[in-house]
Amino acid sequence: MYLSLSIDLAPEEIGAEGFKSFTTRLRDIDAAAPDLVILGGEHDGAVVPGRIEGLVNLPWVAGQITRAALAAALPALHGLPFHVARALSAIDFVSGGRAGWLPVCANHVAIDRAYGAAYAITDTDAPAKYDDFIRATQALWDSWDQDALIIDKARGDYLDSTKVRRVAYRGPYFSTMGPLNAARPPQGYPLLVRDLADLSGSSKLPADIVLVGAESIAEADATIARLREAPGTAGAAILLKVGGALPLEAALEVAGADGVHLTGLPDARAVAAARAMLPTTAGSDGTARARFGMAMPVNPFTQKALV
Amino acid sequence: MSHANGRLHLWAFLQGIGFFPGGWRHAEATPEAVFDRAYYERIGRMVETARFDAIVFGDQLQGRDAAGRTPGRLAIPTLDPFTLLSAMAGATDHVGLVATVSTTYNEPAEVAAKFAALDYVSQGRAGWNIVTTAHPNSPWNFGETQLLEKSLRYKRAAAFVDAADVFWGTASGRKVDRTALKSDWFQIEDTLDFAVPPQGRPVLVQAGQSGDGRDFAAKTAEAIFCPAPTMEAGKAYRDDMRARAAELGRDPDGIKIMPGLALVIGGTEAEAHARHKAVLELADDVLCVEYLSESIGYDLTQHRLGGVFPIDDIVAHCEFPAGDVGKMLAPAVDAGTSIKDFCQAYARKPRGHGIFVGTPEQMADHMESWIDAGACDGFTLQPGFMPLELEVFCKEVVPLLQRRDLLRKEYQGPTLRDHLGLGALT
Repeated sequence: MYLSLSIDLAPEEIGAEGFKSFTTRLRDIDAAAPDLVILGGEHDGAVVPGRIEGLVNLPWVAGQITRAALAAALPALHGLPFHVARALSAIDFVSGGRAGWLPVCANHVAIDRAYGAAYAITDTDAPAKYDDFIRATQALWDSWDQDALIIDKARGDYLDSTKVRRVAYRGPYFSTMGPLNAARPPQGYPLLVRDLADLSGSSKLPADIVLVGAESIAEADATIARLREAPGTAGAAILLKVGGALPLEAALEVAGADGVHLTGLPDARAVAAARAMLPTTAGSDGTARARFGMAMPVNPFTQKALV
Repeated sequence: MSHANGRLHLWAFLQGIGFFPGGWRHAEATPEAVFDRAYYERIGRMVETARFDAIVFGDQLQGRDAAGRTPGRLAIPTLDPFTLLSAMAGATDHVGLVATVSTTYNEPAEVAAKFAALDYVSQGRAGWNIVTTAHPNSPWNFGETQLLEKSLRYKRAAAFVDAADVFWGTASGRKVDRTALKSDWFQIEDTLDFAVPPQGRPVLVQAGQSGDGRDFAAKTAEAIFCPAPTMEAGKAYRDDMRARAAELGRDPDGIKIMPGLALVIGGTEAEAHARHKAVLELADDVLCVEYLSESIGYDLTQHRLGGVFPIDDIVAHCEFPAGDVGKMLAPAVDAGTSIKDFCQAYARKPRGHGIFVGTPEQMADHMESWIDAGACDGFTLQPGFMPLELEVFCKEVVPLLQRRDLLRKEYQGPTLRDHLGLGALT
């Protein structure tokens, strides 16, 4: 079973000593061998953007947590697809294909206020903006084919111009021309993680990993059965949130779960204890996709070229 | 500033594969490595061992295509600066990390949070090269059709930096003017709870050249990255910026002027010139035509390269302002110069930055003479191609600069502010 957790910077981890303790904490968590580490905070058991900006933090964390997949929790209603697609391309390269992202609507009112009046949005409208944000970002990754780079010094061929294009994405909230000034990430798309407790939880866009809560084994069984049929979650690895109403021991009896997500921002000892209780993971070290057994995403532009 | 901190500052400008468009093809260039973490860790440590102030990555907010065609022979790995600097932070302890970020297609809350994160993971080494984005294709990536007019971009930049500073000041317990959250540009209700940046805020870097740019830099910048093709131009620029800063009541020593300097070093002068010639020759006709195409936003590769410029079609369809493009190409059009000949000459131009070609000893002399003349406070080095030219500089020139007491032998503190001798924020 997969083991996941979130980490965030604690308010007391300031100054040189605080930084040292944060670094030590991450290395200890690395030693406990989790499969997924989400860079984000937690509010009422749901993932929120962390106290340390996830996309900037992730490349540094990748030097401390050296094997697990790493997903940045980020505001889905405030970020700009061009910046996010660009950052995650570089992040996927420098983390050896271990990158994931977890866009959330959570805590959006406070973030709306910090971004300014133009960002105010209702909970009713938020899910549509989330979908648009994901689509626009993925469209920019599709502006490059996976094999666009050639890098042949002798011939002087750097890339194949026919494999990079403008995508002219137009959605209700975001429009973006492309091409991205960054190559398609090594994983095609970094893994998309979704917290089903979020306003985005009912999205029909396919996620790679979903976090789902349940109060009992029976509820977990029923929920997972439903998620296996639902459009947004059918192909996803389903990680059961444990630590609140559902203890880890109970989660082990949920046959359909692919793994667990430890809530409560656990320390390394709790992660190691959970690791010891869980059956061995099927996945392997390497890219996040390889670890979670996900196929590479299809680039619709590449497909068209092949037909 | 203490004597031990040196009187020459060095920054390494590391975007892409190096200064020369054809440099990526050099036998000793490593164009694949720029996608690997190990490369950044190694370069970061090398620059730190050489006691540079900082590493800078430039940035762009547009695809590298001209009218939809992305060049095939230019190396264009414009990886996100924050990502590369964050990866380097983990492999280094002292060297500053400067990211180029636009104030036009961003919001203060996000930029403040990102620099707070970079300053935290580097423990006080973050710098922000503040740019306003001038490429005509950039707005298309952000749902807009046209660039904001230049003076408005600088007005927004000023309001943006003031607003971002409220976020940093609030996080680090510094006294700030919260009225900056509301302006003609921003209607911010509140700040966010985020990591305390050890420096209080990133070091503010600017590259302004125009009147608007210089006014903004004089008010805001703690270091300036600028072109200075000659010592006289450098001195004129530095004198002007110091005077502007003094007029605003700032200490002129609080702004370090760091002109760009490309370099090709050889064991002898003849060897250096031969190396320079060889790296220029790696830029073949098509590469040079792609290079100019990108600069005007018009795909010249669709035309016969030995023919003349189809100027009417170019000014009708180019993505850059037609007036500027027409003026730029007028000499070629008037003289009937072929597309490939004009492009070859264009790709060899140093884009306003100086190019030093010579021996290590000559380079140390060159740098010392600029410092003595008050033409700069240091240099932003633009290696001809990576990583060899930077390695040679660190190995051959840095010891000479240290022996002459120009460059520090040891860092005098852990933060980028320390390296620049800026003192703590008040």
